[in-house]
Amino acid sequence: MTNLSRRNFIKIGGAAVAGATLGLPHIARAAGGNVVIVGGGVGGATTARYLKLANPDISVTVVEPKASYHTCFMSNEVLGGERTLEGIEVGYDGLKSMGITMVQDRAAGIDPDAKTVTTAGGETLSFDRCVVAPGISFVTDGIEGYDEAAQEKIPHAWQAGPQTALLRSQLEAMEDGGLVVIIAPPNPFRCPPGPYERASLIAHYLKAEKPKSKVMILDPKEKFSKQGLFTQAWKDLYGFGTDDSMIEWNTFSKVGAINKLDAAAMTVETDFESFDPAVINYIPPQKAGKIALNADLADDSGWCPVDKMTFESSKHAGVHVIGDAAIATAMPKSGYSANSQGKVTAAAIVAALSGKEMPQPSYVNTCYSIAGTDYGFSVAAVYRYNAEDNTIAGVKGAGGLTPVDASAEQRKREVAFAHSWYNNIRKDTWG
Amino acid sequence: MKARGILSSALAFMALVSVAGKAPAAELEASMLANTCNGCHGPNGTSYGPAAPTIGGTNAAYMFETMIAFREGERPSTIMQRIAKGYSDEELKLIADYFAKQPFGRVVDQDTDPDLVARGKQIYDNLCEDCHEDEGMSAIDYPALAGQMMPYLDHQLHDLISGRRDLEKNEALSSKERRKKMRNLKELVETEGGDGVAAVIHFFGSKN
Repeated sequence: MTNLSRRNFIKIGGAAVAGATLGLPHIARAAGGNVVIVGGGVGGATTARYLKLANPDISVTVVEPKASYHTCFMSNEVLGGERTLEGIEVGYDGLKSMGITMVQDRAAGIDPDAKTVTTAGGETLSFDRCVVAPGISFVTDGIEGYDEAAQEKIPHAWQAGPQTALLRSQLEAMEDGGLVVIIAPPNPFRCPPGPYERASLIAHYLKAEKPKSKVMILDPKEKFSKQGLFTQAWKDLYGFGTDDSMIEWNTFSKVGAINKLDAAAMTVETDFESFDPAVINYIPPQKAGKIALNADLADDSGWCPVDKMTFESSKHAGVHVIGDAAIATAMPKSGYSANSQGKVTAAAIVAALSGKEMPQPSYVNTCYSIAGTDYGFSVAAVYRYNAEDNTIAGVKGAGGLTPVDASAEQRKREVAFAHSWYNNIRKDTWG
Repeated sequence: MKARGILSSALAFMALVSVAGKAPAAELEASMLANTCNGCHGPNGTSYGPAAPTIGGTNAAYMFETMIAFREGERPSTIMQRIAKGYSDEELKLIADYFAKQPFGRVVDQDTDPDLVARGKQIYDNLCEDCHEDEGMSAIDYPALAGQMMPYLDHQLHDLISGRRDLEKNEALSSKERRKKMRNLKELVETEGGDGVAAVIHFFGSKN
């Protein structure tokens, strides 16, 4: 299906909906149409809010099992002891106050033909448009000794909340001189700079409280996001590159791939080496959230192909997939991406439900990392939709990284802007 | 009302000249462009702090000039130079006009010292009031400063005083305006010392 015909399809589909509403005025349905959103994270909540802001007549229902949400962003500050777990928790009153219906349940199935979402509790919700924003799921097989149950001893802390609290408590309990092993995931994964910010902020905590301890990153990748900036920060703050470095980065090509994780003995075995850490933070390889996999929205890669202008699934019409679960070409799997995609998707749905053509989409990603006291940096990008090859590409010459030689004052300001980013994106997403 | 001479003619010029490249597949829409800013600057450009400035309810011409200055590398920034390079003049005009129509939300109760606020008020009356009218609440000719984030005001005053943000290069201001602003900044530093800068920041920060 070409993009031109996709747009026509939406137009016709929207006109058909409008026609049906006119023809059958007594059927109880929202004047603006029904949208069911699976997932109350950044993508889902942003879409819900921006749908309501654009047209209060659209009925918006969000299906989310948790009563509140812990943001993954800034959860590394919780691990570093700079922020409480409550400081990354956000409730749903802001969405409810806009007239958005929260269904506290797990979505069990999506039927794109019948246009229904069924919940684990047995509720059936009809939709004109569905938005699936389930985030990620973990690949837990392939390593001896590791499964979902092992996560109670070897936290991933890559979905914030209890896992963040567990990893923090392990860091608090470990003795000075202990080793913290962070096993980073292969691409693509949620929050590309996240493992390296995590290593930084754990080192920040250890430097102050347990200075004989070390953080070792084991990495399947040969390079990583913001590498030059992190490396510089580690040199400036944690002795990186010296014998006394508090952070060590080892690639699988050097130490071997992970073969075995023993949660009882707390050991890590690779092809060539064996480690005896006090704390293991294994961040597993990732795929789209389970509901997206179960609803046949993912392709062989484990992620969901979409129309890059509307985020409508390439596999099932009327269903949109956004955030970490979606394949969004150049956009990273980040909170800001999910927020930006939620706004584009809301505009696409508003247009489709009213039989109009949507405006040109505009997308942005802005991502801050904090490496230590007064030490922040960022990456930004402005993206355009390319209809010819259905891609989202960064505008040439725009965006990019904080310069490696930024002044101390600039780095300090970036921390203040990182905290502002946090407060503002939270408010923009959940109200 | 103070004339911003070059500005109005620049905007009139903008209205006449289409700067878009090849014909877009769909229409540009101001809200679509502007909403991407909210993640850092807050809903409708009202910042929840601590440092990112509120951009809702600001002066449209000022915001447009500022974005152009960021894009051309004439005004220093941490991240905004990188972001501004992603937009055409036409898009920046739409964004600036959109935010100018939003209210300037003053939602953060910032920590201020009453003595500094009182001193800041005196300095304001003497040095700032001519341009930033109505105790900094007005955004008619110049950006509103009342209730702006204090760390942001601190960054900007620091950069203006150090010359890092160089008013001499600001072509949106008339030479008379530039001279006046430079003179007043000099006076703020010379006659009031470091505390004078803090006092002005506390004065504007106390407004909500």
